[in-house]
Amino acid sequence: MLAYTVRRILVSIPVLIISTFIVFLVVINSGDPVANFATSRQPVPSKAAVTAFARHIHANEPVMERYWNWITGVLHGDFGPSVQANLNIGHDLFTRFKVTITLVAAAMILALIMAVVFGVFSAIRQYSAADYTITFFGFLFLAMPVFWFAVLLKQAGIWFNQKTGSQFLGTIGEKSPYLEVDTTWNEFTDHVGHLILPTITLALVSFASWTRYTRASMLEVLNSDYVRLARAKGLRRGKVMTRHALRTALIPLATVTALDIAIILGGAVITETIFQWHGMGEMLVQAATTLDVYRTMAWLLLSAVVVIGFNLIADLLYAVLDPRIRYD
Amino acid sequence: MRVPSSALTRALTLAAGLVLVLTACSSGGGGGDSNKGSSAGLTSCNTVGKANTCNSATTKSGGTYTYVLEKNIQQWNVQDVNGNTFENAEALEVVLPQVFVPQPDFTVALNTDLMTSATQTSTSPQTIVYKINPKASWNDGTPITADDFVYYWRTNNGKDCPPPPASDSTQTKGCLPSSTAGYDRVKSLTASDGGKTVTMVMSKPYSDWKSLFGGGYPMYPAHVAEKFSGAKAGDAAHMTATQMAQAWQYFLKTPPTKYATAGAYKMQDWTDNDHATYVPDPKWYGAKKATLQRLIFKVISDATQEPTALKNNEVQGIYPQPEVDLVNQVKDIPGITYTIGNGLTWEHFDLNLHNPVLGKYLALRQAMFTAINIKDILAKTVGQFDPSVKPLGNHNFVPGQAGYKDVVTGTGQGSGDLTKAKKHLTDAKFTGVGSALKTPDGKAVGPFNCRYTTGNQIRQSECQILQSNLASLGIKVTIKPIGAADLGTVLAGHQYDIIVFAWVAAPFPSSGAQQNWFTSGGGNYGGYSNKKADALISQAVGETDATKSAALLNQADQLMVNDAYVLPLYQKPTFFATQTRFVNMRNNSTIVGPAYNTGTWGLKK
Repeated sequence: MLAYTVRRILVSIPVLIISTFIVFLVVINSGDPVANFATSRQPVPSKAAVTAFARHIHANEPVMERYWNWITGVLHGDFGPSVQANLNIGHDLFTRFKVTITLVAAAMILALIMAVVFGVFSAIRQYSAADYTITFFGFLFLAMPVFWFAVLLKQAGIWFNQKTGSQFLGTIGEKSPYLEVDTTWNEFTDHVGHLILPTITLALVSFASWTRYTRASMLEVLNSDYVRLARAKGLRRGKVMTRHALRTALIPLATVTALDIAIILGGAVITETIFQWHGMGEMLVQAATTLDVYRTMAWLLLSAVVVIGFNLIADLLYAVLDPRIRYD
Repeated sequence: MRVPSSALTRALTLAAGLVLVLTACSSGGGGGDSNKGSSAGLTSCNTVGKANTCNSATTKSGGTYTYVLEKNIQQWNVQDVNGNTFENAEALEVVLPQVFVPQPDFTVALNTDLMTSATQTSTSPQTIVYKINPKASWNDGTPITADDFVYYWRTNNGKDCPPPPASDSTQTKGCLPSSTAGYDRVKSLTASDGGKTVTMVMSKPYSDWKSLFGGGYPMYPAHVAEKFSGAKAGDAAHMTATQMAQAWQYFLKTPPTKYATAGAYKMQDWTDNDHATYVPDPKWYGAKKATLQRLIFKVISDATQEPTALKNNEVQGIYPQPEVDLVNQVKDIPGITYTIGNGLTWEHFDLNLHNPVLGKYLALRQAMFTAINIKDILAKTVGQFDPSVKPLGNHNFVPGQAGYKDVVTGTGQGSGDLTKAKKHLTDAKFTGVGSALKTPDGKAVGPFNCRYTTGNQIRQSECQILQSNLASLGIKVTIKPIGAADLGTVLAGHQYDIIVFAWVAAPFPSSGAQQNWFTSGGGNYGGYSNKKADALISQAVGETDATKSAALLNQADQLMVNDAYVLPLYQKPTFFATQTRFVNMRNNSTIVGPAYNTGTWGLKK
């Protein structure tokens, strides 16, 4: 297992290098940040300012040299210059990553709990009213655009606040700029209040597909010989479900969850924009709209590392959860 | 397998019920306030003579007011070319002083807290005498003196603190002011009365002298610069270029929580990319003390989220670019007053004179501009939420500014008068008018592209109407969007035939005219050149009498209109909304924004 893990990590290095180089070529050819700088400001910048800006972002250097300097810089913790003066990309990246990971982790936990509970319930009560209701909402959430659902939820949150006369649910940001009474408890509830709506938004998309996986997997297991044998031997239904069926049924979900991290990160871009969480999603939007080459690359690099890492985790989880699979 | 019908019915009924609950939530009702959509506080702002005083009332102590900034503040030196952003100006003008402040009616007013007077005492050489309020001081007790003026001048004149050298890729070993205009004409600044009087003598006259030491670009404390850079205290006149560059970088990297400021509020806290918190400054020397308990500037980078934040009482004031949906959303929020104003930003069609056909044939350009129906454009775009919007008739001034004169309407440009447009062409011996236009020497005219920034529905509609108007002359136009971040590339690379975008006019128009219309000016992307217009603009910049300067600019503008280079369309509407329980905030469509008078904001008594 260890040898396999090391081998996979080593293989991912050239994958990262090649993919970042291709993306680097695409990004630097997607627009001219120097022209953008020279024309988007009033008063129009002086020639000296435009020249200094071009120098600052290495705009006039050969592509290979720029890529080499960037990739070696990254190894030393320097993610390169941003088109925004005074912006440390590395600091920006990791600050925002913490914000995004908070949201993504909360959404994943919620989605997983809901997927397991509703998926199992749906499988056990196959073709019941509850099963059809869960199925209906599963497909509804799958079909529903994230941005639309988020807007709907925000309005629901405002309605809740107005009805309760409170300011519990936040629609903007990760926390309030100030608290009238600044206690640890108030700070905690303020965080929770801001986390609820974006978490539900992000979680429901994943929940929709994961609950289908759980249901299908559970149904397959429930109809397998060993479960029937366990029941025939007189084991209680609850024990069969939790000890024998559920563990096996969760194997596909565990791997799908790890592989879906890229989709969740993609969903976070929209969710963060609508709820104004200043995370990785906002960073990507800003970097792309300001033709910020190195900031875009930093985002892509971290995302690639996360996706590759979770792919590896998914493969390893197979071996951990399913004794029939062994890596040499 | 068939499903038992009763189970299916129950399931669908339950599902439909839940969907209805969600949908009901989205309608946003529920408020018990009958003051729905009221704009009592700000409605009078568009009445002539009320722009500077509307929504005024006595305030009482207390309350927290959260106002939206639409961008993060990445660096804090608003005088720097990279820090010259609207948001930075708004955040800093709360705590840093400026001599003249642009007002909602587009005039400029002397900051009477900071200054006793600022007058031009001589026109040859042009001499300005600034008298600083004897009480004026930074909140660490250091008086505001001529030294602060000298520091400002020397860091912004482009000479004493030059740009970073070519070897400096970090851009940190020099000063990069956003503009040296005016400061590069200052011959001397002399202190008297213990530093409380400053006499400025110009080497060449400068008509926009009121833009100096303020006008949206506030002053930084010289004593902090001197201390940080190791220069002698109170001697900005002898700071070295290196010391000034160090201080420039310090103010660039440091939020004003860390150094002495001079405003009714002081910045207590800055959370990067999230919010700034201001509290009343007990050391404030001004006549009127701040009454809000707390003032917050909150970063919301997506304007479409602002109405919901306002509705949820997470913010109390917003200043987004208006769109039909956004305005309608705000209208439905109880307890909100709002106003749609006409700003200093103006929309226009530009022709690229680098295009050989467009550059060569004046009659073609005049015909194209005459065929464009601006009233139709307005009716189908911004007129839908701003019925007061009118065609703009000047390239340097907007209605309400003292120098405004309609130099466009008389030419027929923008009228949509096809008969007149066709006459321009037939008189110049164009053929195929109305079908497939050809130049007098038989070459096909067009097809031309009309370019607009992608995602901007209004500009897309403007291009579509232009396309239809020019088709009547026999000119084919293709509509080609520009990537969100590619406007600069397209402008600088002349990658357009016709383009629609916006300029921001300034309360100080002559330097703007020099940049945009002068031969080879930094903003003259279409390659316009008229020696007579150049001479008139140069004269205007050096004219010390504001009325004469405006007249010269209008003469130059008339020449440019006749040359049919840029067709002004309309002033872009601005939109300001605030809760009615707060007063004294109002729309200011200039570069300083509504935050120009935060010291007076407060809870209505």
